Amino acid sequence: MRSRVRPNDFSSAGAFELHRPLIKSLERRGLLRAGLSLGALTLLTGCDVKRPEAVEAALLAISRMNDGVQALLFDPNHLAPTYPEAMILRPPKFNAYYDVMDVKPVDGSTWRLELAGLIAEKRPWTLPDLQAMPQRSMVIRHVCVEGWDYIGGWTGVPLRSFLERVGADLSAKYVAFKTADDYPSSIDMATALHPQTLLALQYGGDTLADPFGYPVRLRMATKLGYKNPKWVTAIEVTNTYPGGYWEKLGFPWFGGI
Amino acid sequence: MRPRFAVTTACLALLFGQAAQAQSPTPGGMPPPPGMSLAQSNAMRFPQPIRVGQLLGRVVLQPVESQTVLGHIRGVVRDNQGQVLVVMNFGGFLGFGSRLIAVPLDAMVLLGEATEVAAFTPQQLRRFAAFTPSGTTPVPAETVVKVGLAKPSH
Repeated sequence: MRSRVRPNDFSSAGAFELHRPLIKSLERRGLLRAGLSLGALTLLTGCDVKRPEAVEAALLAISRMNDGVQALLFDPNHLAPTYPEAMILRPPKFNAYYDVMDVKPVDGSTWRLELAGLIAEKRPWTLPDLQAMPQRSMVIRHVCVEGWDYIGGWTGVPLRSFLERVGADLSAKYVAFKTADDYPSSIDMATALHPQTLLALQYGGDTLADPFGYPVRLRMATKLGYKNPKWVTAIEVTNTYPGGYWEKLGFPWFGGI
Repeated sequence: MRPRFAVTTACLALLFGQAAQAQSPTPGGMPPPPGMSLAQSNAMRFPQPIRVGQLLGRVVLQPVESQTVLGHIRGVVRDNQGQVLVVMNFGGFLGFGSRLIAVPLDAMVLLGEATEVAAFTPQQLRRFAAFTPSGTTPVPAETVVKVGLAKPSH
């Protein structure tokens, strides 16, 4: 089809040469490049894009704003999609900030779950203690920030039940986790109390395997994969922002799906 | 209008974009160290049980960031020495001209639904003989085998 903006006739062969500077200044890709560059960030923040720390601070401020918006939008009663048991991927996908050969298995018989912060009963919990609590199962999608996902089936103690049982201050802001692989993490209290947030003890009906967090890991249907620490060893309820392993490296803290 | 559109796009990307950095700074399916047998290497990768029938059809990747597709699993057999081998199509172009080769199961790793050949490079796989069923017996689909794990290579 003939272009509607194409002239019917060219006035002269020299016209292009005459207007070459103007044409060059109108290069579309150049405009897009400029628009999509950090120039946009400068307009937004007034920062000096030549200083990387200023750019980083601006991006982190936007990320924190994202966290706030996600927390506002979070509906504590809205359930994430669930799936039939037949869709459970066995075994699940391993991922960590190190290779699987560096996994250090945890001895379930000596494992203790330490409690700290705004919790009334801070006695450490054993694995049989947790196994004796009412369990819940859910088949949910694990979504990684890297872009992959899989369907997994998890069984464990609803974190809400656990927090209620130990007398945690449910009006506190954060629930923080420490793990055996030095992967600290933390979540908002609203998500901690969500019905699809578990202290998972089983996968696909079997005891959690070593590389997937035995004896206890956190599993949430409402947050990205990196917010689900494995090999949990301590839980703290606090009003002081605890951060997390990837959050210190710039990942968003809320990490909602 | 175009610069304004571009700036708006950039703003939206900054506002709603999530960090999408890789969580894995190093590739997962690294080859075994020199002198280590495939079985020893596999044992270090927390081998997990999986039914043979669930392996069939799975994609086989090269353990590199680009996750190059090497082929797909077409069968699992046991040779005369009792070694379990994964039969996969390999080579060719756009699905044409590939041939079947048999790779030791202990050379493979699982990454969720995908698999990787951790112990051999594509150059080494090119030198593998074309698979012939003689001297091997198919492993039934219900048989449970154990396959090591690796983190994603991207």
